[in-house]
Amino acid sequence: MIKHDGLKEEFKYVTKPDEQEHIAGLFASGDMLMQEIAYSLITGQNIEVGSLVKKALENDYSANIVLDDGLIAGMAIVGVKFRDNIIFVPEVLISARAMKAGMEHIEPILSAAGVKPIGTVIMGTVKGDLHDIGKNLCIMMLRGGGFLVHDLGVDTKPDDFIDAVMEHDAAIVGMSALLTTTMPNMGTTIEAFEEAGMREEVKIMVGGAPVTQEFADEMGADAYGDNAVDCVQKAKELVITEN
Amino acid sequence: MINTALNLTKKQRVLNALAGKDVDRPPVSNPTNVATVELMDYVDAPFPEACRNAELNAKLALTGHSELGFDSIAPYFSIIQESSALGCEMQWEQKDNWPTVRMGNPIWKSKSDIKIPSGFLEHKDNIAITRSINILKNEVKGQVAILGKTMGPWTLAYHVFGVEPFLLMSIDNPSETLEILKKLKEITVLFGQAQIDSGADVLVVPDHATGDLVSARYYDDFLLEIHQELVEDLQVPLILHICGRTVDRMPSIAKSGMAAFHFDSKNTPSEAMEAVGDGIRLVGNINNPETLYSKSPEDVKQEVYRALDAGVQLIAPECAIPLKTKIENLLAIPSAVNQWVSNKFQS
Repeated sequence: MIKHDGLKEEFKYVTKPDEQEHIAGLFASGDMLMQEIAYSLITGQNIEVGSLVKKALENDYSANIVLDDGLIAGMAIVGVKFRDNIIFVPEVLISARAMKAGMEHIEPILSAAGVKPIGTVIMGTVKGDLHDIGKNLCIMMLRGGGFLVHDLGVDTKPDDFIDAVMEHDAAIVGMSALLTTTMPNMGTTIEAFEEAGMREEVKIMVGGAPVTQEFADEMGADAYGDNAVDCVQKAKELVITEN
Repeated sequence: MINTALNLTKKQRVLNALAGKDVDRPPVSNPTNVATVELMDYVDAPFPEACRNAELNAKLALTGHSELGFDSIAPYFSIIQESSALGCEMQWEQKDNWPTVRMGNPIWKSKSDIKIPSGFLEHKDNIAITRSINILKNEVKGQVAILGKTMGPWTLAYHVFGVEPFLLMSIDNPSETLEILKKLKEITVLFGQAQIDSGADVLVVPDHATGDLVSARYYDDFLLEIHQELVEDLQVPLILHICGRTVDRMPSIAKSGMAAFHFDSKNTPSEAMEAVGDGIRLVGNINNPETLYSKSPEDVKQEVYRALDAGVQLIAPECAIPLKTKIENLLAIPSAVNQWVSNKFQS
C-alpha cells in the first residue's frame, strides 16, 4: 500500500492495469522508509537516497529489501515515466545518479553475501560509434533489474564482444548504435559470433535511436529494445528462453 | 506555391522555397551529408581526408549537384570542425564512417572554462570548410545553392562538456546552463559568419535538443530565444536541424524565425506540417536507415511523394545518410520530385 503522499502522486503516472498491479505490489509492505527512498530516487535526490539507504541498513533492513522495495520499486516508476515521455533523459540521469548513491551502500553487502544475479550481460556500443548515453541507461536499468553487467564502453570491436562473453561466461550480449553508419556493425558482430561458432551459446539484443525491430530482424538479432525499460524486459525474456 | 512556368536556377529554387516564394518545383536539398563511399571513389576524395582538405572537400561536395542532381551543395563532413578547433579529442575514422568527437573525454566542465582559442577560424579544420565554400562558389557561379553549417550551442555543449554531464547540468544548474549556451552561441556566429563571408548562401544550424533526449519545454527554456538571436546575427536563411522525434516542439521551432526546419522521419510529414503551420518551412524527411540504405528506388519515390503530398517545401534525406547508401536510391529523390510535379501540374 502506498502511504507516502509524493509517491502517491508519482504512482498516478502508472496507467496500465498490469503495471499498476505490479508496481503497487512492490510497495505492498507499506514501509514508509522504503517509500521515502523510492520517492527520493524518482525525484533525483542522490544525497537523500544515499543517507536514507545508509539509515535503513543501520536499522537492520536487509540489503535485498532496500534494493527491491526502495530502489528498484522507485526505478520502476522512473522507467514507466521515461517510456511514456513524461520525463526525458536528464530526469532519468538524476534518478540514475540517486540509484548509484544508494547502490554504493548496498553492493558491498550483496557481494559479500554472494547473491547471484539473474543473468550476465555484456554491453557495448558497436565499433565506430562513440555514443553511450542510451547504453549507459540500459546498463543502469539492467543492474537495477538484478543483472550482472560488464560494460565494454564505446567503439567495441566484434572480437571484444566475443572475448568478453568467453571471459565472463555471459548468456546475453547487448549492442547499441546511434549512427546509421555504425548500425551495420551490429550485423558484423553477429556474423563474428557465427564464425567463432558461438552464436548458439549467446542471445543478442540490439537497440539505439535509429535501430528498429525490422533492422534487428534483418541483422539476425534475438531481441530489440525500444528503450531502457524494454531492454530489461527483453533481457528477462531471453534469460527465460535460455533456461 | 508551385508555378511550373517559372524557370529558376537551382540556387533561386532553394532560396525561393526557403523564403516561402513560388518555385517551379520543390527543391531537393542536402542540409546534412549525402556523400557516399561510391562518390568518394568516383572523385577520389575519401573520408577522412575530404573532411580536412579544402580541395578534396569541394570535389566531394560538388557531386551533390553534378552526380546526384540536387539543388544544393554542402561541404562534408562538417559537424565536428569547430569542436576540433576548440581542442576536443577527435576520432577521424575511415572512408565508411563519419568522424566523431570523443564526447566521453570532454574538454570543459563549467562556464569559466569556455575560451575561444585565438586563431580559431584559422584552424586547419575550419579553414578546410571556409576554403571549400570559396572553391564551390567559384565553381558553381551562383547557379547552385551553397549550404554552410555551423553547430548550434546545444550541440556544441554536447561536444565540449559531454552529453551526460551537460544534461545533468541542465537540471542541477539551469541558469548556468543558459549562460553557457549564450557563450557558446558566439562560436556558432563566428564560424557561421566566416562561411557567409566565404560564399555560403544558407546556413544549416544543427542543435540537437531532440525528443529522444529532452522534453519540448527544454526548447522553450533554453533555446528559442538564442535561435531568434541567431537569425538576427547571421543574415542568410537558416535551416535548423534536429534529429529524432520533434513534433512536440515544432510549434516553438516555428517561432524561431529560422527559414526552415530539417526534420526526421520519426515525425510524419503531415503531422509536422500541421505542427508548424505557416510559421516555418520544412525540409525532409526521407528515411535513412531503412528506405535510403536498404530499400529500393520505388520505396524512395513513395516516401518523396508522401512528403510532397503533405506540403513539405524542400525534399531531403532526414539526416546524414549512411555512407554505403546506394547512389540509385539518392538519384531517385530528384527523379521522384520531377515525376510528382509532372503528374500533378502537367497532366
